[in-house]
Amino acid sequence: MISPNDKLTIYSAKRNYLGSGNVWKDMFKDIMNSRDLIWRLILRDISVRYRQSILGYIWAVLPQIVTVAIFAFLARYRVFDMGQTSMPYVIHALWSLSVWQLFSSCLLGCTNSLVNAGSLVTKINFTKEALVIASIGQGCVDFLIRLIPVFAVFLWHGFIPSWKAVAIPIVLLFVILMAIGMGFFLAIINLVLRDVGNALGMLLTFGMFLSPILYAPPIREPFVLINYANPFSPLLIATQDLLMGADLKQPILFLFIGFLSIILFFVGWFIFHVVMPRVTERA
Amino acid sequence: MTDNVLIKVENVGKKFCHSLRRSMLYGIGDIARDVLNVDTNPEDLRQDEFWAIENVSFEVKRGECLSVIGRNGAGKSTLLKMLNGIFPPDQGKITIRGKVAALIEVGAGFHPMLTGRENIYINGSILGMGKKEIDSKFDDIVAFAELEEFIDSPVKHYSSGMYVRLGFAIAAQLNPDVLLLDEVLAVGDASFRAKCFNQISNIMKKSAVVFVSHSMPHVAHVSSKLMHIQSGKANYYGEKIQIGIAKYFSSSNIDINASQFSFDSTRISDVCINHDFNRGVEVTYGSDLKITFSIHIKDCHDNPEIQIIISDEVFNNVIQITSPSRFLKPCRIQEQIVEVVLERLLLNSGRYYLTIGVLDGKNGIILARYMNCAQFNVISRKIGYASIMLNGNWSLI
Repeated sequence: MISPNDKLTIYSAKRNYLGSGNVWKDMFKDIMNSRDLIWRLILRDISVRYRQSILGYIWAVLPQIVTVAIFAFLARYRVFDMGQTSMPYVIHALWSLSVWQLFSSCLLGCTNSLVNAGSLVTKINFTKEALVIASIGQGCVDFLIRLIPVFAVFLWHGFIPSWKAVAIPIVLLFVILMAIGMGFFLAIINLVLRDVGNALGMLLTFGMFLSPILYAPPIREPFVLINYANPFSPLLIATQDLLMGADLKQPILFLFIGFLSIILFFVGWFIFHVVMPRVTERA
Repeated sequence: MTDNVLIKVENVGKKFCHSLRRSMLYGIGDIARDVLNVDTNPEDLRQDEFWAIENVSFEVKRGECLSVIGRNGAGKSTLLKMLNGIFPPDQGKITIRGKVAALIEVGAGFHPMLTGRENIYINGSILGMGKKEIDSKFDDIVAFAELEEFIDSPVKHYSSGMYVRLGFAIAAQLNPDVLLLDEVLAVGDASFRAKCFNQISNIMKKSAVVFVSHSMPHVAHVSSKLMHIQSGKANYYGEKIQIGIAKYFSSSNIDINASQFSFDSTRISDVCINHDFNRGVEVTYGSDLKITFSIHIKDCHDNPEIQIIISDEVFNNVIQITSPSRFLKPCRIQEQIVEVVLERLLLNSGRYYLTIGVLDGKNGIILARYMNCAQFNVISRKIGYASIMLNGNWSLI
């Protein structure tokens, strides 16, 4: 009855990660085998999210519309000086906020993914990466919904996005990879120290004001430092440039950050894969 | 591995840490060493660490069921989680051949807001089934769980029994080579449990099963091998199920306190077995058992009746002895010393408890009940599966 095809699994005290190339092969195989699961988990999160609500997906767009409306009002009456944005202010703010929320909700989702999974993590053996990766589904769907008011504002202002905008999805991919990469680390730390989840909410609020979302990208010293201190800013500025068809303001910085987000993703994934068994026995 | 050995566990150990803070520190150290691939010496115990499982070895072949028994905290679940690969051992090696299905917590991963139908798909894919596989097994799962009516309501409205039924039904459809079960059948009503055991027996024919349970009748029923774990070490491992079970019972020395309650001033006192007032009197299999006690009835009752109940370690009532009618004088205040002799006690070896009750035989109202008022141990050369071990009159026709 034993066939050589039977899967042989060995668990032992001696584990070897850097010595062999098998780790990456295993990691890719695990993810490929979990495609179905990731898809199911994404569908689950989407279908559960607004099940007990009347307004449903309006909740995805409402906070952002209200925020932009308030800031547009403040900008118009010169309570704050938002600087001169290259696109109409409302378009600039609404678009940038959508991209920011894509990043922040993906990052928050990843960070809380293991904690929210509860006993699943400690009681069932499956590819836990699936939980982290699937948790970006919600952020991505919300982003797509938030595009509706964005396009509505385009129409209202008669704004036609440049053909260069077709490259935006690539930039958004960097944004998502960066969020997952950070999320791999934060998810594990959050499982052990719940402070991370709380602190992240606060840090993301700061992050929003440290990125040129509700104001134009600063050009003057020393404020231009914001663009360097905040790894998200170069990506955001790139989407703004592409949307209106201008040349990239910081091409090298953008490519560097894009490359960094890919590296971050793979490093995060590797660390997650290695650390997860050690964490589950303590969670 | 030869001879259809699907699970092979060699000198496996796992250490845990008493202190949460140290556990975190050690964890960081271990992770750093894992990543940097530095040789560790996992067999050393650091401060505050202890072996939750130490030096455990066993094999399970296809068609066998290994029951793992032991008191709470003995390390059973830790062992099962290592078999499932949830965390790695610190010592030794586990080799598993084929597809593994584990039921360590039934319904782990059920989303309360989703319907039973949606949860079947999610849980199925967590357990490694593809969509087509679930599609084809969906009706069987629902039928097995007996949830046809409720499959489209959210599982948060399910009773705990329905929850377990659904969880078990999904895992039961996995057709695994190795099935790991952790006390999952404690919930669920009797008929469903019977169904589950049926299903386990069916799965067992094709796979190797590891079964963790506290229910000795279940263990005796399904297992072909048994391991008794005491403080992380295997205290018994072998095919003699009844000996392992006897070791499990003798490993707990906790005696249950006697407690008396009475509804009028009726009292029972001075209980002794074979003229011995101590608890834990030893009685040899097949010898006589003499129970002596005093009884005080201070009110008028038409037909006072005495009931003696002998129960086993897990409080299954095994024997009841009832006093004959008009044994005590009706409607009289009295104080009596009563003696009952049971001739040729044919109980299996083990620990037994005695409960004595007095009730009004006319309307069945309990006047007094003295629970666990005495405890005795039956000593027997042979250890059997059932509480009562008869000889019977045998003949060949």
